[in-house]
Amino acid sequence: MTRGALLAAAAAFYLAAAWMVAPGFYDGFAPPQPYNFVCPPAQAGANLPPASGHLVIKVINGVSDANSAFTDDGQVVIGFLPGAFDVTGKTSVTVDIKPVSPCPNSPGLHFSTNVYEITADATLIKSSTLVLRYRAESPDGPWTNIGASAQAQIWTVDTKTDKLGYFAAGYPSNSVSSGGRSGSSQILPVTIAVLIVAVLVGGIPLTILRRRQARAGGTDDDEVA
Amino acid sequence: MLGGVALALTAWGRPAAKLGLGGSRLGLRILGGLALALVLLLPAAARVSAIPILPPALAIAAIAVSVGEEIAFRGALFAALEEAGGAPLAVIGSTALWTAAHALSHPPAFLLTVAAAGLLLALWRLACRDLVAPIIGHVIADLAL
Repeated sequence: MTRGALLAAAAAFYLAAAWMVAPGFYDGFAPPQPYNFVCPPAQAGANLPPASGHLVIKVINGVSDANSAFTDDGQVVIGFLPGAFDVTGKTSVTVDIKPVSPCPNSPGLHFSTNVYEITADATLIKSSTLVLRYRAESPDGPWTNIGASAQAQIWTVDTKTDKLGYFAAGYPSNSVSSGGRSGSSQILPVTIAVLIVAVLVGGIPLTILRRRQARAGGTDDDEVA
Repeated sequence: MLGGVALALTAWGRPAAKLGLGGSRLGLRILGGLALALVLLLPAAARVSAIPILPPALAIAAIAVSVGEEIAFRGALFAALEEAGGAPLAVIGSTALWTAAHALSHPPAFLLTVAAAGLLLALWRLACRDLVAPIIGHVIADLAL
């Protein structure tokens, strides 16, 4: 098989594999950051207060620019398309994201996230991409299910919204939670980390031996097909 | 950020050319990187209408991690495995360890895609003796998503 055909086959394999799961380039191998709760559940462990977010969107030629508002801890991101706001008489649009405290209580729902209030000083007129699942007119409800995208990246819940207000992600109280990682599941990351270190450390003496053996006839790796 | 630097340090002492980081035909390498980025982003681009823009701090971290991962897995590890057991061991070994490392943070359902991306980048490294393109493709893909 030629080099080109090999690469084409690998590209096709990647495209097929990537199509079967949610979009994203699946990178980084640090464990996920702990969630910062306003009201941490008993099993949450050490907790930092959640961050707020603030964004000023420029108005260019009478149209609000594309931009994303996010909290500094990355727990909420909302992306706005060009022209997402009614900017009549405005030179900029200010968006604020604030975790709601004290924690709102809503019968029948179990929140997996904080409740966030997202506000802007202009009216939203285009749907925007948001990472949370529920929306309500006030933090104590009634809550409206605005759905979740089947294409959400891992560890996030994405959806579209055409209004700003209060947002949270969660599930009905009477549903069964899939639960978090159990203590025993920590064995896998530790095992893998040990294996990686072992192979990397083991590779050094191997490399030295190989270099000594092949010193006379070494090849240059610096070429591009 | 620190993780990216730590990963890059695994290549300490190896000649750049042995890592696939030589300067010859740089234009082709950059073009190859753009092509790889295109392939890596295509499945997401076809299905996502709007992607949030990465905050600057996260963007810098994404660049550091991407470069570090490439230098560690497709650079130093690939070169060591190739010297030890030839090209098949280098491709399969670097892909397997790259996938295993990502199992730390990803559910099993995503690991086939991680492995496929690793295989593509490793085969490029083997076929073109080049690491510049995988670095560029990886950085762009991370920044875009």
